Amino acid sequence: MDETLEIDTGVRRPKKNKRKKQPITWRVIKNQNQLIWMSVPLMLYIILFAYVPVWGWTMAFQNYRPAKSFGEQEWVGLKQFKFLFTDDNFIRVLRNTLAMGVINLILGFVTAIVLALLLNEIKKVFWKRTVQTISYLPHFLSWIIVTGIVATSLSINDGIVNIVLMKLHLIKEPILWLSEGKYFWGIVGASHVWKEVGWNTIIYLAAIASIDPALYEAAEIDGANRYKKMMHVTLPGIKATIVILMIMSIGHVLEAGFEVQYLLGNGLVVDWAETIDIFVLKYGLAQGNYSLATAGGIFKTVVSVTLLLMANGISKRLGEERLL
Amino acid sequence: MGGKSKVTFKYSLVALLTLSFALSGCGGGNDKNAAATDKAKETAATDSASSNTGGKIEPFKVSAFIGVAGQQPTPDNKIYKKIKEETGASFDMEFLAGDINQKLGVMIAGQDYPDLMTGSTKLTAAGAYIPLEDLIEEHAPNLKAHYADYWNMMKDPNDGHIYILPNYGVYNGKVNSSWYSGPAFWIQKAVLKEFNYPKVKTLDQYFDLIEQYKAKYPKIDGSPTIGFEILNYDWKNWGLFNAPQHLIGHPNDGGVVVKDGVAEVFANKDYAKKYYQKLNEMNEKGIIDKETFVQNYDQYMAKLSSGTVLGMFDQHWNFNAAEDSLTTQNKIERTYVGLPLVYDESTKDHYRDLAVLNLNNGFGISINAKDPVKIIKLLDTLMDEKWQKLFSWGVEGEDYIVENGRFMRTQEQRDNAADATWQLANKAKSLFEYLPKTEGSYSDGNSTDAAAQPEEYKAGLKPYDKEVLDAYGFNSYVDFFSDPPPNPVYYPAWSIDLIEGSDAKIASTKLNELQTKFLPKAILAKPAEFDSVWTDYTEQIEKANVKAYEDKINEQIKWRIENWSK
Repeated sequence: MDETLEIDTGVRRPKKNKRKKQPITWRVIKNQNQLIWMSVPLMLYIILFAYVPVWGWTMAFQNYRPAKSFGEQEWVGLKQFKFLFTDDNFIRVLRNTLAMGVINLILGFVTAIVLALLLNEIKKVFWKRTVQTISYLPHFLSWIIVTGIVATSLSINDGIVNIVLMKLHLIKEPILWLSEGKYFWGIVGASHVWKEVGWNTIIYLAAIASIDPALYEAAEIDGANRYKKMMHVTLPGIKATIVILMIMSIGHVLEAGFEVQYLLGNGLVVDWAETIDIFVLKYGLAQGNYSLATAGGIFKTVVSVTLLLMANGISKRLGEERLL
Repeated sequence: MGGKSKVTFKYSLVALLTLSFALSGCGGGNDKNAAATDKAKETAATDSASSNTGGKIEPFKVSAFIGVAGQQPTPDNKIYKKIKEETGASFDMEFLAGDINQKLGVMIAGQDYPDLMTGSTKLTAAGAYIPLEDLIEEHAPNLKAHYADYWNMMKDPNDGHIYILPNYGVYNGKVNSSWYSGPAFWIQKAVLKEFNYPKVKTLDQYFDLIEQYKAKYPKIDGSPTIGFEILNYDWKNWGLFNAPQHLIGHPNDGGVVVKDGVAEVFANKDYAKKYYQKLNEMNEKGIIDKETFVQNYDQYMAKLSSGTVLGMFDQHWNFNAAEDSLTTQNKIERTYVGLPLVYDESTKDHYRDLAVLNLNNGFGISINAKDPVKIIKLLDTLMDEKWQKLFSWGVEGEDYIVENGRFMRTQEQRDNAADATWQLANKAKSLFEYLPKTEGSYSDGNSTDAAAQPEEYKAGLKPYDKEVLDAYGFNSYVDFFSDPPPNPVYYPAWSIDLIEGSDAKIASTKLNELQTKFLPKAILAKPAEFDSVWTDYTEQIEKANVKAYEDKINEQIKWRIENWSK
């Protein structure tokens, strides 16, 4: 999602003005025909892989049975949605998804920006690189390994977390972290941070690198110290990047994840651990009820798009950068 | 002008090509399948004639999906090489990686099936298997004879076709058994020895022993002793759920207890409450592992392998690997004895049952198989006693020896057979697991399973095991259990297919969910709070429409009684 994104905020406004001056006429199309042709494969790609699958949404309104053709499927209207929304668990599951999504979003942002700012202050390239490399390596581990590490470090026998807390005399007895619902969201958030913080930092570092050094010099001449430069030059310099990434991430709030919760969850914390994805897996895929799984997917998409548009709108009101 | 139009032409060509490539990638899946099955039928008809008469071995490939995680055999595996030399068949096996439901979902959605697939009700429901009854009748005399007594049972209750060849449960000749693979309350041999081999019949006696031993030895090899372990992870949840039915002297029927042909869910009954209350009491005393409900299967196995766990309720095959590890570490005293516990001594234990046909398991042939006849013929050939011996015992002289007509192993061969790396090069274990097989004994009287050959079992016993068995006056650990009475026709209820997506299945999922959530809570609660958690739990179960689940089971029990009775 945010790995390769490169935002060049400078280009946006002039282009808009140009468009106003030059309405799209046949001549423009003719002039730019190479460009248009070049975009055709990409358009096809998008149509094929982003729009054609939307056809599969029809499944949500059927009692879909694989191996039968489209015409043979039984149409059931909104039955799957009804099952989804009327199930006792749904509110709980939605709450968990939203909560963990928001926690991941905020924690992810704050930690990544802070780490980027701190890394930027390191002047020795060797150390900067070392810290950066170490912090983004966990990104390449799969969740199954990460949850294994998490479960082991939270264990009451020889778990590093309990050992450290005991040595610091913060707790008297080892705590069974994974058995208490109230800790679960925190554990998930912390695991996310550990895994992704270094990776998320990369884009901010790139944005920081593009800030004009003259600004720093000017600030210095005006007597700004390190901290002030960070607050008044670096942060405003990457504001556009932060806002755009924020808008995009808000669209993914319902993607709180599946693996972490599934792999770390257990009967004792199920009330806090079950997300929409797990619910859909249990009552959809695991039951061979693909229609319900699709209905769950549609619900998530609709909510995500709404959130995205809302964030974009608010951003527009506030006169900030926008995505759309 | 010319130059410009040439450019335009070039671009449109590129675009056209892109479009055609992109479009050729999708669509047409169903037609292709239909065509493939048609073609399969045609070639099958012609092929069967030619391959019989020719006598020449034509090499062919069979792709197989194994529904559990496993390791690929080595490329020069002894058994697969022999199969290839003599029948021409080579296997291309795909093992499960990740979640089975997810994998099956993807397979079904893409109609992407290998030739052979291990049994699954999901695949049956998706119409992924071809009916086998006619193929067997025509081309597979060995299989036909093998399954003769079980023919009706193998039929799918929904449409009466046979889709899957069950891999276990068809017995021939004398059935020796010296290894119990089923559920029991397990206890370390060292605990029994410590208290001079007492007879343990009831749950109270069992926990009493564990409590005393733990008090006496708070540490084993430097680690704290764990009294009792309960695994409740993913689908391996019987360690928590199933014990109550056994404690009242009932065999394993899964989630229900069947009395006089009527099934009822037992999760919320008083005799279940009694068990969980006992566990609650034990937890208060610190006997139960604190981490027991947050651990996954690997952590559980690691704990058992360390030898610090005194007891647990489980199925033997589920923790077999941990016992192997203990044996390798030469900690025989830390391996386990299975005990058929009941609530009170007047109840007769019924843990051990007569083997039943392993429905919904084994191999089925998929609709994508190009040549079902060839495959069924191959399976039929492999059913031959010569092949069965090769699969089970190995190569004579190399993997076993024959003394006076009896199969035996030398110590080296025994060690080899237990060595996982050796197995990959010398056994076709994962394939044989799912093939139809002879169980019991061969026509020459030897056991089909080395572990069940009485002489071999005796010879392979460690001195420690001899001591334990002698103390009780038993021949093998199976003797701890009462002899099983004949199975009712419908038995076992756990093999009933609830039909994907039906109300019964949803109710059973709900029930499962409630048990996973509330039982740990009840066990870990303060004893004074146990009752309120239990009430909460039973109320939730009442809301969960378990009636639908019971009704489906009862309907199928009736169906089985009508259709399976001879």
